[in-house]
Amino acid sequence: MEEESDCRKINNSFLRDHNYATEADIISTVEFNSTGELLATGDKGGRVVVFQREQESKNQPHRRGEYNVYSTFQSHEPEFDYLKSLEIEEKINKIRWLPQQNAAYFLLSTNDKTVKLWKISERDKRPEGYNLKDEDGRIRDPGTITTLRVPVLRPMDLMVEATPRRVFSNAHTYHINSISVNSDYETFMSTDDLRINLWNLEITNRSFNIVDIKPTNMEELTEVITAAEFHPHQCNTFVYSSSKGSIRLCDMRASALCDNHSKFFEEPEDPSNRSFFSEIISSISDVKFSHSGRYLMTRDYLTVKVWDLNMESKPLETYQVHDYLRSKLCSLYENDCIFDKFECVWNGSDSVIMTGSYNNFFRMFDRNTKRDVTLEASRENSKPRAILKPRKVCVGGKRRKDEISVDSLDFSKKILHTAWHPYENIIAVAATNNLYIFQDKVN
Amino acid sequence: MEFKVEAHRIMSISLGKIYNSRVQRGGIKLHKNLLVSLVLRSARQVYLSDFYSGACLNAQSEREGKEWDLIDSEREKFPPATEECNQTEETRQNDQPPINETVEKADDEEVKPDAEHCTPTPEEQSQNSSSDLADRVSSESSVPDAIKQNQESPTDSTNATLGESRQPQKTHVCTTRKRGAEESERDDAPQKRTKVNVTSSNASDDEESEEMDTGNVSNLITIFGSSFSGLLSKDGAKPEAEAQDSDSGSGQICCDQMLKNLNPWSTAIVAF
Repeated sequence: MEEESDCRKINNSFLRDHNYATEADIISTVEFNSTGELLATGDKGGRVVVFQREQESKNQPHRRGEYNVYSTFQSHEPEFDYLKSLEIEEKINKIRWLPQQNAAYFLLSTNDKTVKLWKISERDKRPEGYNLKDEDGRIRDPGTITTLRVPVLRPMDLMVEATPRRVFSNAHTYHINSISVNSDYETFMSTDDLRINLWNLEITNRSFNIVDIKPTNMEELTEVITAAEFHPHQCNTFVYSSSKGSIRLCDMRASALCDNHSKFFEEPEDPSNRSFFSEIISSISDVKFSHSGRYLMTRDYLTVKVWDLNMESKPLETYQVHDYLRSKLCSLYENDCIFDKFECVWNGSDSVIMTGSYNNFFRMFDRNTKRDVTLEASRENSKPRAILKPRKVCVGGKRRKDEISVDSLDFSKKILHTAWHPYENIIAVAATNNLYIFQDKVN
Repeated sequence: MEFKVEAHRIMSISLGKIYNSRVQRGGIKLHKNLLVSLVLRSARQVYLSDFYSGACLNAQSEREGKEWDLIDSEREKFPPATEECNQTEETRQNDQPPINETVEKADDEEVKPDAEHCTPTPEEQSQNSSSDLADRVSSESSVPDAIKQNQESPTDSTNATLGESRQPQKTHVCTTRKRGAEESERDDAPQKRTKVNVTSSNASDDEESEEMDTGNVSNLITIFGSSFSGLLSKDGAKPEAEAQDSDSGSGQICCDQMLKNLNPWSTAIVAF
């Protein structure tokens, strides 16, 4: 599919002029809200930047609703756990939007230990004409007041303010890797390596543990939870993925503690592919329900798999993201790249899936036509408003002109986080500290 | 053998990663350390099985001479610990600090139980030797223990139970080392050399992860030694599955073949 690169090369740090990326600016999560009007990014420095799509104007039909910065705030600060002598990183691991119920926007953001509910609201009017205080806010001497007046609301410059409304803390011993809002819009769950907790959005001092896979003897630990998500429509159903490559579907109606799964999805390992690193590359880094709720998508290091909820024995479809890396697993282990956690996303109609790779490449797979494309998010290789050119990685043999050989891939440029607009063909791609937004070609 | 070099290299890298994870910001990440410990375990299996498979192959042709080779190279790996076993209580305490420093970076608590149980009787060794080797081949790295202990120590009181469960296997490991120690009188030079290596690398704490020579790596692994029994059961299922598979002939992953050879050789080792 052809794309016009709207190439909003929005750098998250607004105060610097340098070109190099400081670690705090590395984007760690990207998420559209449920209408696609807002796009939130979280970074390693604990900040959240929210972009808003501008209204389409008839005057400039070719500028079809570009995204501009709407609000920036510091969500999490670095903390220190004195009991364990551990520093808690402020990096935002996940952001999830709540559905909009009034004029304000709500999102959940989490670091390794604490989930926060933020309210983002606009203020464009200001009351003027108080009796007891003057315009600067200073209290007037009551003796000087001779008349009474009614304060009125006057328009002011638009101000967007973000306030923390709830803080959900002290519920996780291990690092939180996922949060997911339930379709009942009353509860959400937070997941760490060994436990999943269920919260009510209104109550911060209590949470319920619904999954606990911690063995009594930690020596017997063999797998950890890597991601979890609620079903998009059934508020009693959720799935969680493990480091062993399996997915469990649980029904909260069955029991209070969902240690026993209702469904277990696992594909038997291919014995011809065994190596030292088989366990690492089979660990699932992301799991996403389709919008319809009928399918599941999982991402492990080399593949993306689509599962039918009704078939547990094997995935419906398997897509190779970058199989040319299979022979390089040892070097990828040495430079820690093998531990990278790639995410995957569905498009609005569940017909196309997208995930990231190295060298600022990202891949899209069309489930119906079985075609796939590799695209690159980089300033150097594409001009604004130019159509993105498909890229190809050459796997040994003769390298053609536009191809890149596996050995010249830049493994420090990785695309771990991407997002797809819920209805339209607009995608947001996070490449280290840069955010790229691409749209469909305008005819 | 290049498999051995490869496996050893992977083991060194894995141990380096585990060490680095303790000093990195944000605390120890359970998931990553679990994966690293799995790789460490696999590499260790290949390293040891490769080692013993070589010994068994040679044993068929030249049994006497190669047996001593096996014990020599085994001794080469373990002399500092061998020293530890040979010496009396007092001198052993003196030797402990150099070895402890090596291990301390990774785990403080595990060396002490090791020292306490380094007094097995020689008569056990003949009975236990064969099962030792099988144990060691299939036993797991308890490095994740250290990590989990650190994560949970204030809140979890599993330390005591962990120490206890590790003790029996530590005894086995010590026994095997002692068997090698008996042969050590024959040749002191390699021991001294390796011991000097240990102390010199301990001198530079900062470079500890880089200066992992054979002696250090093997020491760390044997001292971590035992139990990760969940992996053990998983591992028990694995060799059987591999033995049933036909050889894929893919030389690309060389350790593949070693993992497949693991099962037949383990029976040879038990007999040995």
